[in-house]
Amino acid sequence: MRPSTKSLFAALAFTALAAASGAGIAAEVKGAAPTDPALIEKIRKSNAECYACHTEAGLKNPPRADMDLAALTKFIHDPKQFDGSNHTGMECKVCHGQGYVAFPHAPEAKKSISECGECHATKALRVETQFEASVHAKNLKDAFTCQTCHDPHVYKVAAKVGDPRKIVAQDNAMCVDCHNSDLRYSAFSTALPTKKVRPDLYATHDWLPNARLHWSAVRCIECHTPVSPVKSLATSHEILAKDKSDKACVTCHSQDSALATRLYRYASTNVGADLGFANAQVLGSAYVVGATRNPLIDRAVIGLFGLTVLGLLGHGAVCVVLALIRRRRTS
Amino acid sequence: MSHRIYLLPPWLRLWHWTNAALIIVLAVTGASLHFAGEGGYLVPFSLAAKIHDIAGVALACAYGFFVLANIVTGNWWQYVPKPPGVLARCLTQARFYAFGIFRGEPHPYPPTVEANFNALQAVVYWFIMYLVVPTVVVTGLIFFYPELAPTKIYGLDGLLPVAMLHYIAGAVVILFMVAHIYLGTTGVRPTSLFKMMITGWHEE
Repeated sequence: MRPSTKSLFAALAFTALAAASGAGIAAEVKGAAPTDPALIEKIRKSNAECYACHTEAGLKNPPRADMDLAALTKFIHDPKQFDGSNHTGMECKVCHGQGYVAFPHAPEAKKSISECGECHATKALRVETQFEASVHAKNLKDAFTCQTCHDPHVYKVAAKVGDPRKIVAQDNAMCVDCHNSDLRYSAFSTALPTKKVRPDLYATHDWLPNARLHWSAVRCIECHTPVSPVKSLATSHEILAKDKSDKACVTCHSQDSALATRLYRYASTNVGADLGFANAQVLGSAYVVGATRNPLIDRAVIGLFGLTVLGLLGHGAVCVVLALIRRRRTS
Repeated sequence: MSHRIYLLPPWLRLWHWTNAALIIVLAVTGASLHFAGEGGYLVPFSLAAKIHDIAGVALACAYGFFVLANIVTGNWWQYVPKPPGVLARCLTQARFYAFGIFRGEPHPYPPTVEANFNALQAVVYWFIMYLVVPTVVVTGLIFFYPELAPTKIYGLDGLLPVAMLHYIAGAVVILFMVAHIYLGTTGVRPTSLFKMMITGWHEE
Protein backbone atom coordinates (compact mmCIF):
# COMPACT_ATOMS: atom_id res chain seq x y z
CA MET A 1 0.00 0.00 0.00
CA ARG A 2 1.28 3.48 -0.89
CA PRO A 3 -1.73 5.56 0.01
CA SER A 4 -0.01 8.85 0.46
CA THR A 5 2.60 8.74 -2.24
CA LYS A 6 0.51 10.84 -4.52
CA SER A 7 -2.21 11.59 -2.04
CA LEU A 8 -1.85 15.34 -1.66
CA PHE A 9 -1.56 15.93 -5.35
CA ALA A 10 -4.35 13.46 -6.02
CA ALA A 11 -6.62 15.06 -3.44
CA LEU A 12 -6.15 18.47 -5.00
CA ALA A 13 -6.61 17.11 -8.50
CA PHE A 14 -9.72 15.20 -7.44
CA THR A 15 -11.26 18.27 -5.81
CA ALA A 16 -10.56 20.37 -8.86
CA LEU A 17 -11.94 17.71 -11.19
CA ALA A 18 -15.05 17.19 -9.10
CA ALA A 19 -15.70 20.91 -8.90
CA ALA A 20 -15.09 21.42 -12.60
CA SER A 21 -17.09 18.51 -13.99
CA GLY A 22 -19.75 18.20 -11.31
CA ALA A 23 -19.61 14.47 -11.96
CA GLY A 24 -18.39 13.43 -8.50
CA ILE A 25 -21.14 13.84 -5.98
CA ALA A 26 -19.74 13.34 -2.51
CA ALA A 27 -21.22 14.15 0.87
CA GLU A 28 -21.85 17.83 1.58
CA VAL A 29 -19.97 17.55 4.87
CA LYS A 30 -16.86 15.42 5.15
CA GLY A 31 -17.73 12.06 6.64
CA ALA A 32 -21.46 12.69 6.64
CA ALA A 33 -24.13 11.39 4.28
CA PRO A 34 -25.87 14.09 2.20
CA THR A 35 -29.06 15.58 3.58
CA ASP A 36 -30.38 17.49 0.57
CA PRO A 37 -33.34 15.41 -0.77
CA ALA A 38 -32.65 16.35 -4.39
CA LEU A 39 -29.01 15.30 -4.07
CA ILE A 40 -29.95 12.07 -2.29
CA GLU A 41 -32.37 11.22 -5.11
CA LYS A 42 -29.73 12.00 -7.74
CA ILE A 43 -27.22 9.71 -6.01
CA ARG A 44 -29.84 7.00 -5.60
CA LYS A 45 -30.66 7.07 -9.30
CA SER A 46 -27.00 7.08 -10.28
CA ASN A 47 -26.20 4.13 -7.98
CA ALA A 48 -29.31 2.27 -9.16
CA GLU A 49 -27.72 2.19 -12.62
CA CYS A 50 -24.73 0.33 -11.14
CA TYR A 51 -26.89 -1.93 -8.95
CA ALA A 52 -28.88 -2.96 -12.02
CA CYS A 53 -25.96 -5.29 -12.75
CA HIS A 54 -23.68 -5.37 -9.66
CA THR A 55 -26.10 -7.02 -7.22
CA GLU A 56 -27.44 -10.54 -6.75
CA ALA A 57 -30.69 -9.38 -8.36
CA GLY A 58 -28.77 -7.92 -11.30
CA LEU A 59 -26.83 -11.13 -11.72
CA LYS A 60 -30.06 -13.15 -11.81
CA ASN A 61 -31.78 -10.80 -14.26
CA PRO A 62 -29.03 -9.05 -16.21
CA PRO A 63 -30.35 -5.99 -18.04
CA ARG A 64 -28.37 -6.90 -21.17
CA ALA A 65 -27.85 -10.17 -22.95
CA ASP A 66 -24.22 -9.53 -23.92
CA MET A 67 -22.80 -9.47 -20.41
CA ASP A 68 -19.97 -11.66 -19.11
CA LEU A 69 -21.79 -13.05 -16.05
CA ALA A 70 -18.77 -15.03 -14.84
CA ALA A 71 -16.78 -11.80 -14.60
CA LEU A 72 -19.73 -9.97 -13.05
CA THR A 73 -19.92 -12.57 -10.23
CA LYS A 74 -16.66 -11.17 -8.84
CA PHE A 75 -18.10 -7.67 -8.53
CA ILE A 76 -21.39 -8.19 -6.74
CA HIS A 77 -22.32 -5.81 -3.91
CA ASP A 78 -25.09 -5.65 -1.37
CA PRO A 79 -26.79 -2.22 -1.41
CA LYS A 80 -27.97 -2.71 2.17
CA GLN A 81 -24.42 -3.40 3.32
CA PHE A 82 -23.18 -0.36 1.40
CA ASP A 83 -25.87 1.80 3.03
CA GLY A 84 -24.61 0.64 6.43
CA SER A 85 -20.98 1.34 5.56
CA ASN A 86 -18.83 4.39 6.07
CA HIS A 87 -19.37 5.40 2.46
CA THR A 88 -23.15 5.39 2.62
CA GLY A 89 -24.67 8.25 0.66
CA MET A 90 -21.78 8.37 -1.76
CA GLU A 91 -22.17 7.93 -5.47
CA CYS A 92 -20.39 4.83 -6.85
CA LYS A 93 -18.81 7.03 -9.50
CA VAL A 94 -16.99 9.14 -6.90
CA CYS A 95 -14.47 6.31 -6.67
CA HIS A 96 -15.27 4.41 -9.86
CA GLY A 97 -14.33 7.13 -12.34
CA GLN A 98 -14.95 7.86 -15.97
CA GLY A 99 -14.04 4.37 -17.17
CA TYR A 100 -17.21 3.02 -15.51
CA VAL A 101 -19.73 5.53 -16.83
CA ALA A 102 -20.61 3.59 -19.99
CA PHE A 103 -21.08 -0.15 -20.59
CA PRO A 104 -19.06 -2.06 -21.56
CA HIS A 105 -16.69 -0.41 -19.08
CA ALA A 106 -13.40 0.86 -20.45
CA PRO A 107 -10.67 -1.82 -20.56
CA GLU A 108 -8.44 0.30 -18.32
CA ALA A 109 -11.33 1.37 -16.07
CA LYS A 110 -9.79 -0.24 -13.00
CA LYS A 111 -6.95 2.25 -13.18
CA SER A 112 -9.44 5.06 -12.78
CA ILE A 113 -10.59 3.87 -9.36
CA SER A 114 -9.65 6.53 -6.83
CA GLU A 115 -7.07 5.66 -4.23
CA CYS A 116 -8.23 5.93 -0.62
CA GLY A 117 -5.72 8.70 -0.02
CA GLU A 118 -7.45 10.92 -2.54
CA CYS A 119 -10.17 11.61 0.00
CA HIS A 120 -8.49 10.38 3.18
CA ALA A 121 -5.23 12.26 2.62
CA THR A 122 -4.48 13.24 6.22
CA LYS A 123 -5.41 9.86 7.63
CA ALA A 124 -3.43 8.07 4.92
CA LEU A 125 -0.33 10.07 5.81
CA ARG A 126 -0.64 9.06 9.45
CA VAL A 127 -1.50 5.45 8.67
CA GLU A 128 1.31 4.98 6.18
CA THR A 129 4.14 5.37 8.69
CA GLN A 130 2.56 2.75 10.93
CA PHE A 131 1.69 0.47 8.04
CA GLU A 132 5.24 0.55 6.67
CA ALA A 133 6.43 -1.01 9.95
CA SER A 134 3.77 -3.72 9.87
CA VAL A 135 4.32 -7.38 9.10
CA HIS A 136 2.04 -7.05 6.08
CA ALA A 137 4.11 -4.27 4.49
CA LYS A 138 7.37 -6.08 5.21
CA ASN A 139 6.20 -9.36 3.70
CA LEU A 140 3.73 -8.39 1.02
CA LYS A 141 4.86 -4.91 -0.02
CA ASP A 142 2.52 -3.33 -2.60
CA ALA A 143 0.39 -6.47 -2.89
CA PHE A 144 -1.20 -5.34 0.36
CA THR A 145 -3.47 -2.31 0.04
CA CYS A 146 -6.03 -0.56 2.24
CA GLN A 147 -8.72 -2.61 0.52
CA THR A 148 -7.09 -5.90 1.42
CA CYS A 149 -8.60 -5.37 4.86
CA HIS A 150 -11.03 -2.47 4.47
CA ASP A 151 -13.68 -3.27 1.86
CA PRO A 152 -14.90 0.27 1.08
CA HIS A 153 -18.34 -1.09 0.18
CA VAL A 154 -18.80 -2.65 3.61
CA TYR A 155 -16.41 -1.19 6.19
CA LYS A 156 -17.58 1.09 8.96
CA VAL A 157 -15.19 2.78 11.38
CA ALA A 158 -15.37 1.69 15.03
CA ALA A 159 -16.50 5.14 16.16
CA LYS A 160 -19.64 4.78 14.03
CA VAL A 161 -20.26 1.10 14.92
CA GLY A 162 -20.10 1.90 18.65
CA ASP A 163 -21.14 -1.52 19.98
CA PRO A 164 -17.88 -3.31 20.92
CA ARG A 165 -19.27 -6.75 19.99
CA LYS A 166 -20.10 -5.51 16.48
CA ILE A 167 -16.70 -3.84 16.16
CA VAL A 168 -15.05 -7.14 17.12
CA ALA A 169 -17.12 -9.13 14.63
CA GLN A 170 -16.37 -6.72 11.78
CA ASP A 171 -12.68 -6.19 12.50
CA ASN A 172 -11.79 -9.82 13.23
CA ALA A 173 -13.53 -10.91 10.04
CA MET A 174 -10.97 -8.81 8.16
CA CYS A 175 -8.12 -10.83 9.72
CA VAL A 176 -9.63 -14.30 9.55
CA ASP A 177 -10.77 -13.82 5.97
CA CYS A 178 -7.12 -14.53 5.10
CA HIS A 179 -5.63 -16.04 8.25
CA ASN A 180 -8.34 -18.70 8.46
CA SER A 181 -8.56 -19.36 4.73
CA ASP A 182 -5.93 -21.47 2.98
CA LEU A 183 -7.15 -20.17 -0.36
CA ARG A 184 -6.83 -16.45 0.42
CA TYR A 185 -3.65 -16.94 2.46
CA SER A 186 -1.89 -18.86 -0.29
CA ALA A 187 -2.98 -16.26 -2.87
CA PHE A 188 -1.06 -13.64 -0.88
CA SER A 189 1.85 -15.82 0.15
CA THR A 190 2.82 -16.30 -3.51
CA ALA A 191 4.27 -12.77 -3.23
CA LEU A 192 6.75 -14.06 -0.65
CA PRO A 193 10.23 -15.27 -1.67
CA THR A 194 9.36 -18.66 -0.23
CA LYS A 195 5.73 -19.68 -0.13
CA LYS A 196 4.39 -19.87 3.41
CA VAL A 197 1.91 -22.41 4.72
CA ARG A 198 -0.90 -20.81 6.69
CA PRO A 199 -0.30 -21.41 10.41
CA ASP A 200 -3.22 -22.93 12.27
CA LEU A 201 -4.82 -20.22 14.41
CA TYR A 202 -5.54 -22.59 17.30
CA ALA A 203 -1.95 -23.85 17.31
CA THR A 204 -0.46 -20.35 17.29
CA HIS A 205 -2.81 -19.28 20.07
CA ASP A 206 -2.51 -22.40 22.24
CA TRP A 207 -0.89 -20.30 25.00
CA LEU A 208 -4.00 -18.12 25.23
CA PRO A 209 -6.59 -19.34 27.76
CA ASN A 210 -10.12 -19.50 26.28
CA ALA A 211 -8.89 -18.50 22.80
CA ARG A 212 -12.35 -18.81 21.25
CA LEU A 213 -13.87 -16.57 23.92
CA HIS A 214 -11.14 -13.98 23.36
CA TRP A 215 -11.74 -14.01 19.61
CA SER A 216 -15.41 -13.24 20.09
CA ALA A 217 -14.83 -10.58 22.75
CA VAL A 218 -11.76 -8.64 21.61
CA ARG A 219 -10.16 -7.74 18.31
CA CYS A 220 -7.05 -9.48 17.03
CA ILE A 221 -5.45 -6.04 16.91
CA GLU A 222 -5.72 -5.59 20.70
CA CYS A 223 -2.62 -7.79 20.93
CA HIS A 224 -1.35 -7.56 17.36
CA THR A 225 -0.83 -3.78 17.29
CA PRO A 226 1.05 -1.44 19.60
CA VAL A 227 -0.73 1.52 21.18
CA SER A 228 -1.21 4.14 18.47
CA PRO A 229 1.16 7.05 19.01
CA VAL A 230 -1.22 9.24 16.96
CA LYS A 231 -4.12 10.42 19.11
CA SER A 232 -6.54 10.80 16.21
CA LEU A 233 -6.05 7.15 15.26
CA ALA A 234 -7.80 4.86 17.72
CA THR A 235 -5.69 1.92 16.62
CA SER A 236 -2.30 1.59 15.06
CA HIS A 237 -1.96 0.10 11.58
CA GLU A 238 1.36 -1.48 12.55
CA ILE A 239 0.15 -5.08 12.58
CA LEU A 240 2.63 -7.14 14.58
CA ALA A 241 3.75 -10.69 13.90
CA LYS A 242 3.30 -13.21 16.71
CA ASP A 243 6.80 -12.79 18.15
CA LYS A 244 6.26 -9.04 18.62
CA SER A 245 2.62 -9.19 19.73
CA ASP A 246 1.55 -8.38 23.26
CA LYS A 247 1.32 -11.53 25.36
CA ALA A 248 0.94 -9.71 28.67
CA CYS A 249 -2.58 -10.60 29.86
CA VAL A 250 -2.53 -7.67 32.28
CA THR A 251 -2.54 -5.18 29.40
CA CYS A 252 -6.29 -5.80 29.39
CA HIS A 253 -6.82 -7.81 32.59
CA SER A 254 -6.00 -5.10 35.11
CA GLN A 255 -7.60 -2.05 36.60
CA ASP A 256 -5.48 0.05 34.22
CA SER A 257 -6.93 -1.89 31.28
CA ALA A 258 -6.02 -0.92 27.72
CA LEU A 259 -9.55 -1.99 26.71
CA ALA A 260 -10.89 1.28 28.08
CA THR A 261 -8.87 3.35 25.63
CA ARG A 262 -8.94 0.94 22.71
CA LEU A 263 -11.92 -1.32 21.96
CA TYR A 264 -14.21 0.40 24.45
CA ARG A 265 -13.29 4.01 23.74
CA TYR A 266 -16.60 4.50 21.92
CA ALA A 267 -18.78 2.50 24.32
CA SER A 268 -21.25 4.58 26.26
CA THR A 269 -22.40 2.59 29.27
CA ASN A 270 -22.71 4.48 32.52
CA VAL A 271 -24.61 1.94 34.62
CA GLY A 272 -21.39 0.28 35.81
CA ALA A 273 -19.84 3.63 36.65
CA ASP A 274 -22.87 4.51 38.78
CA LEU A 275 -22.21 1.30 40.72
CA GLY A 276 -18.60 2.31 41.27
CA PHE A 277 -16.91 -0.13 38.87
CA ALA A 278 -13.53 0.49 37.31
CA ASN A 279 -13.52 0.30 33.49
CA ALA A 280 -17.31 0.54 33.72
CA GLN A 281 -17.77 1.08 29.98
CA VAL A 282 -16.58 -2.50 29.41
CA LEU A 283 -19.38 -3.88 31.58
CA GLY A 284 -21.95 -3.04 28.93
CA SER A 285 -20.86 -6.11 26.99
CA ALA A 286 -18.29 -8.03 29.01
CA TYR A 287 -17.09 -8.88 32.49
CA VAL A 288 -13.29 -8.90 32.28
CA VAL A 289 -11.40 -10.57 35.13
CA GLY A 290 -8.99 -8.10 36.71
CA ALA A 291 -10.40 -5.10 34.82
CA THR A 292 -14.07 -4.67 35.67
CA ARG A 293 -13.55 -4.53 39.40
CA ASN A 294 -15.37 -2.64 42.09
CA PRO A 295 -12.74 -0.88 44.22
CA LEU A 296 -15.20 -0.45 47.10
CA ILE A 297 -15.92 -4.19 47.32
CA ASP A 298 -12.20 -4.93 46.93
CA ARG A 299 -11.37 -2.61 49.83
CA ALA A 300 -14.10 -4.23 51.95
CA VAL A 301 -12.79 -7.74 51.21
CA ILE A 302 -9.14 -6.82 51.85
CA GLY A 303 -10.13 -4.92 55.01
CA LEU A 304 -12.17 -7.84 56.31
CA PHE A 305 -9.33 -10.25 55.57
CA GLY A 306 -6.84 -7.99 57.37
CA LEU A 307 -9.14 -7.54 60.37
CA THR A 308 -9.74 -11.31 60.59
CA VAL A 309 -6.02 -12.11 60.50
CA LEU A 310 -5.17 -9.35 63.00
CA GLY A 311 -8.09 -10.34 65.24
CA LEU A 312 -7.06 -13.99 65.26
CA LEU A 313 -3.39 -13.16 65.84
CA GLY A 314 -4.42 -10.90 68.72
CA HIS A 315 -6.72 -13.59 70.11
CA GLY A 316 -3.93 -16.16 69.86
CA ALA A 317 -1.39 -13.84 71.47
CA VAL A 318 -3.69 -13.14 74.43
CA CYS A 319 -4.39 -16.89 74.78
CA VAL A 320 -0.66 -17.70 74.83
CA VAL A 321 0.24 -14.91 77.27
CA LEU A 322 -2.59 -15.83 79.66
CA ALA A 323 -1.71 -19.53 79.42
CA LEU A 324 1.91 -18.70 80.30
CA ILE A 325 0.79 -16.60 83.25
CA ARG A 326 -1.49 -19.41 84.48
CA ARG A 327 1.33 -21.93 84.11
CA ARG A 328 3.72 -19.70 86.06
CA ARG A 329 1.13 -19.25 88.83
CA THR A 330 0.44 -22.97 89.15
CA SER A 331 4.13 -23.84 89.12
CA MET B 1 -3.42 -41.01 79.96
CA SER B 2 -5.63 -38.93 77.68
CA HIS B 3 -9.00 -40.17 76.41
CA ARG B 4 -9.19 -40.89 72.66
CA ILE B 5 -12.21 -41.40 70.41
CA TYR B 6 -12.22 -42.32 66.74
CA LEU B 7 -14.22 -39.65 64.90
CA LEU B 8 -13.11 -39.27 61.31
CA PRO B 9 -13.22 -42.03 58.69
CA PRO B 10 -10.47 -42.11 56.02
CA TRP B 11 -12.71 -40.79 53.20
CA LEU B 12 -13.54 -37.68 55.22
CA ARG B 13 -9.88 -36.99 56.06
CA LEU B 14 -8.79 -37.58 52.49
CA TRP B 15 -11.51 -35.25 51.20
CA HIS B 16 -10.68 -32.63 53.86
CA TRP B 17 -6.99 -32.36 52.93
CA THR B 18 -7.71 -32.50 49.20
CA ASN B 19 -10.26 -29.74 49.67
CA ALA B 20 -7.85 -27.73 51.83
CA ALA B 21 -5.03 -27.96 49.27
CA LEU B 22 -7.35 -27.03 46.40
CA ILE B 23 -8.83 -24.07 48.28
CA ILE B 24 -5.36 -22.70 49.05
CA VAL B 25 -4.36 -23.05 45.38
CA LEU B 26 -7.64 -21.48 44.26
CA ALA B 27 -7.31 -18.64 46.76
CA VAL B 28 -3.78 -17.75 45.62
CA THR B 29 -4.54 -18.04 41.90
CA GLY B 30 -7.96 -16.41 42.30
CA ALA B 31 -6.41 -13.40 44.05
CA SER B 32 -3.73 -13.27 41.33
CA LEU B 33 -6.43 -13.11 38.65
CA HIS B 34 -8.66 -10.62 40.43
CA PHE B 35 -5.88 -8.27 41.51
CA ALA B 36 -3.88 -8.79 38.29
CA GLY B 37 -1.24 -6.20 37.51
CA GLU B 38 -0.92 -4.97 41.08
CA GLY B 39 2.33 -6.57 42.17
CA GLY B 40 5.08 -9.06 41.47
CA TYR B 41 3.98 -11.26 44.37
CA LEU B 42 1.04 -12.53 42.31
CA VAL B 43 1.12 -15.63 40.08
CA PRO B 44 1.47 -14.56 36.39
CA PHE B 45 -2.01 -14.17 34.89
CA SER B 46 -1.83 -16.83 32.18
CA LEU B 47 -0.41 -19.44 34.57
CA ALA B 48 -2.88 -18.46 37.30
CA ALA B 49 -5.78 -18.84 34.84
CA LYS B 50 -4.70 -22.35 33.85
CA ILE B 51 -4.10 -23.50 37.43
CA HIS B 52 -7.36 -21.92 38.64
CA ASP B 53 -9.31 -23.74 35.91
CA ILE B 54 -7.80 -27.13 36.73
CA ALA B 55 -8.04 -26.71 40.51
CA GLY B 56 -11.60 -25.39 40.13
CA VAL B 57 -12.77 -28.48 38.27
CA ALA B 58 -10.97 -30.65 40.84
CA LEU B 59 -12.75 -28.78 43.66
CA ALA B 60 -16.10 -29.30 41.95
CA CYS B 61 -15.35 -33.04 41.71
CA ALA B 62 -14.21 -33.12 45.35
CA TYR B 63 -17.42 -31.37 46.36
CA GLY B 64 -19.49 -33.88 44.40
CA PHE B 65 -17.64 -36.68 46.22
CA PHE B 66 -18.24 -34.96 49.57
CA VAL B 67 -22.00 -34.68 48.97
CA LEU B 68 -22.30 -38.27 47.75
CA ALA B 69 -20.19 -39.70 50.57
CA ASN B 70 -22.21 -37.70 53.10
CA ILE B 71 -25.44 -39.14 51.73
CA VAL B 72 -24.11 -42.71 51.57
CA THR B 73 -22.53 -42.72 55.05
CA GLY B 74 -25.19 -40.55 56.74
CA ASN B 75 -22.48 -38.10 57.79
CA TRP B 76 -24.66 -35.21 56.51
CA TRP B 77 -26.58 -35.46 59.80
CA GLN B 78 -23.53 -34.13 61.65
CA TYR B 79 -23.95 -30.77 59.88
CA VAL B 80 -27.55 -30.31 61.02
CA PRO B 81 -27.79 -28.19 64.17
CA LYS B 82 -30.16 -30.11 66.42
CA PRO B 83 -32.83 -28.23 68.35
CA PRO B 84 -33.79 -27.41 70.98
CA GLY B 85 -31.47 -24.70 72.24
CA VAL B 86 -29.31 -24.32 69.13
CA LEU B 87 -29.01 -20.56 69.61
CA ALA B 88 -28.24 -20.87 73.33
CA ARG B 89 -25.52 -23.47 72.63
CA CYS B 90 -24.08 -21.27 69.87
CA LEU B 91 -23.93 -18.35 72.31
CA THR B 92 -22.26 -20.53 74.96
CA GLN B 93 -19.67 -21.61 72.40
CA ALA B 94 -19.11 -17.97 71.26
CA ARG B 95 -18.74 -16.90 74.88
CA PHE B 96 -16.11 -19.61 75.32
CA TYR B 97 -14.07 -18.22 72.37
CA ALA B 98 -14.56 -14.65 73.65
CA PHE B 99 -13.78 -15.24 77.34
CA GLY B 100 -13.54 -18.84 78.57
CA ILE B 101 -10.65 -19.80 76.30
CA PHE B 102 -8.52 -17.03 77.86
CA ARG B 103 -9.20 -18.41 81.31
CA GLY B 104 -8.22 -21.91 80.24
CA GLU B 105 -11.76 -23.30 80.62
CA PRO B 106 -12.51 -26.63 78.92
CA HIS B 107 -14.46 -26.66 75.62
CA PRO B 108 -18.16 -26.46 76.55
CA TYR B 109 -19.23 -29.11 74.01
CA PRO B 110 -16.38 -31.53 73.31
CA PRO B 111 -16.95 -33.79 70.28
CA THR B 112 -18.59 -37.17 70.67
CA VAL B 113 -19.15 -40.00 68.19
CA GLU B 114 -22.80 -38.93 67.96
CA ALA B 115 -22.09 -35.19 67.63
CA ASN B 116 -18.72 -34.38 66.05
CA PHE B 117 -19.47 -30.68 66.01
CA ASN B 118 -20.64 -28.19 68.60
CA ALA B 119 -23.75 -26.18 67.60
CA LEU B 120 -21.79 -23.14 66.38
CA GLN B 121 -19.50 -25.39 64.36
CA ALA B 122 -22.46 -27.23 62.82
CA VAL B 123 -24.20 -23.96 61.86
CA VAL B 124 -21.04 -22.46 60.35
CA TYR B 125 -19.98 -25.66 58.57
CA TRP B 126 -23.50 -26.11 57.22
CA PHE B 127 -23.50 -22.50 55.95
CA ILE B 128 -20.06 -22.91 54.34
CA MET B 129 -20.41 -26.42 52.91
CA TYR B 130 -24.04 -26.30 51.78
CA LEU B 131 -24.43 -22.64 50.79
CA VAL B 132 -21.13 -20.85 50.17
CA VAL B 133 -19.03 -23.64 48.58
CA PRO B 134 -21.84 -24.68 46.19
CA THR B 135 -22.17 -21.01 45.21
CA VAL B 136 -18.44 -20.85 44.42
CA VAL B 137 -18.58 -24.15 42.53
CA VAL B 138 -21.69 -23.34 40.47
CA THR B 139 -20.59 -19.80 39.60
CA GLY B 140 -17.13 -21.12 38.76
CA LEU B 141 -18.61 -23.71 36.42
CA ILE B 142 -20.70 -20.98 34.74
CA PHE B 143 -17.38 -19.21 34.00
CA PHE B 144 -16.49 -22.27 31.91
CA TYR B 145 -19.75 -21.96 30.02
CA PRO B 146 -20.49 -18.21 30.02
CA GLU B 147 -23.37 -18.77 27.59
CA LEU B 148 -25.28 -20.18 30.59
CA ALA B 149 -25.23 -16.73 32.21
CA PRO B 150 -27.92 -14.22 31.25
CA THR B 151 -26.86 -12.07 28.28
CA LYS B 152 -27.66 -8.77 30.00
CA ILE B 153 -28.86 -7.63 33.39
CA TYR B 154 -29.87 -3.97 33.80
CA GLY B 155 -27.75 -3.02 30.79
CA LEU B 156 -24.66 -4.80 32.14
CA ASP B 157 -23.08 -8.05 31.04
CA GLY B 158 -24.98 -10.98 32.54
CA LEU B 159 -21.75 -12.56 33.74
CA LEU B 160 -21.25 -9.70 36.22
CA PRO B 161 -23.57 -11.04 38.98
CA VAL B 162 -22.06 -14.52 38.48
CA ALA B 163 -18.57 -13.08 38.82
CA MET B 164 -19.47 -10.97 41.85
CA LEU B 165 -21.07 -13.97 43.57
CA HIS B 166 -18.00 -16.08 42.78
CA TYR B 167 -15.68 -13.41 44.16
CA ILE B 168 -17.66 -12.69 47.33
CA ALA B 169 -18.39 -16.38 48.06
CA GLY B 170 -14.70 -17.17 47.41
CA ALA B 171 -13.69 -14.42 49.84
CA VAL B 172 -16.06 -15.87 52.48
CA VAL B 173 -14.47 -19.33 52.02
CA ILE B 174 -11.00 -17.79 52.47
CA LEU B 175 -12.08 -15.93 55.62
CA PHE B 176 -13.60 -19.16 56.93
CA MET B 177 -10.39 -21.03 56.11
CA VAL B 178 -8.26 -18.53 58.05
CA ALA B 179 -10.53 -18.75 61.09
CA HIS B 180 -10.78 -22.55 60.69
CA ILE B 181 -6.99 -22.93 60.70
CA TYR B 182 -6.73 -20.70 63.78
CA LEU B 183 -9.44 -22.59 65.67
CA GLY B 184 -7.57 -25.76 64.73
CA THR B 185 -4.89 -24.65 67.18
CA THR B 186 -7.34 -24.49 70.10
CA GLY B 187 -7.29 -28.21 70.95
CA VAL B 188 -5.69 -29.63 74.10
CA ARG B 189 -2.41 -28.85 72.40
CA PRO B 190 -2.00 -26.49 69.38
CA THR B 191 -1.29 -29.51 67.17
CA SER B 192 -3.80 -32.04 68.49
CA LEU B 193 -6.72 -31.07 66.21
CA PHE B 194 -4.45 -31.12 63.13
CA LYS B 195 -3.26 -34.54 64.26
CA MET B 196 -6.90 -35.63 64.55
CA MET B 197 -7.51 -34.59 60.95
CA ILE B 198 -4.63 -36.89 59.92
CA THR B 199 -5.24 -39.92 62.20
CA GLY B 200 -9.00 -39.65 62.72
CA TRP B 201 -8.58 -39.93 66.51
CA HIS B 202 -9.73 -37.09 68.75
CA GLU B 203 -7.72 -36.57 71.89
CA GLU B 204 -9.15 -35.05 75.05
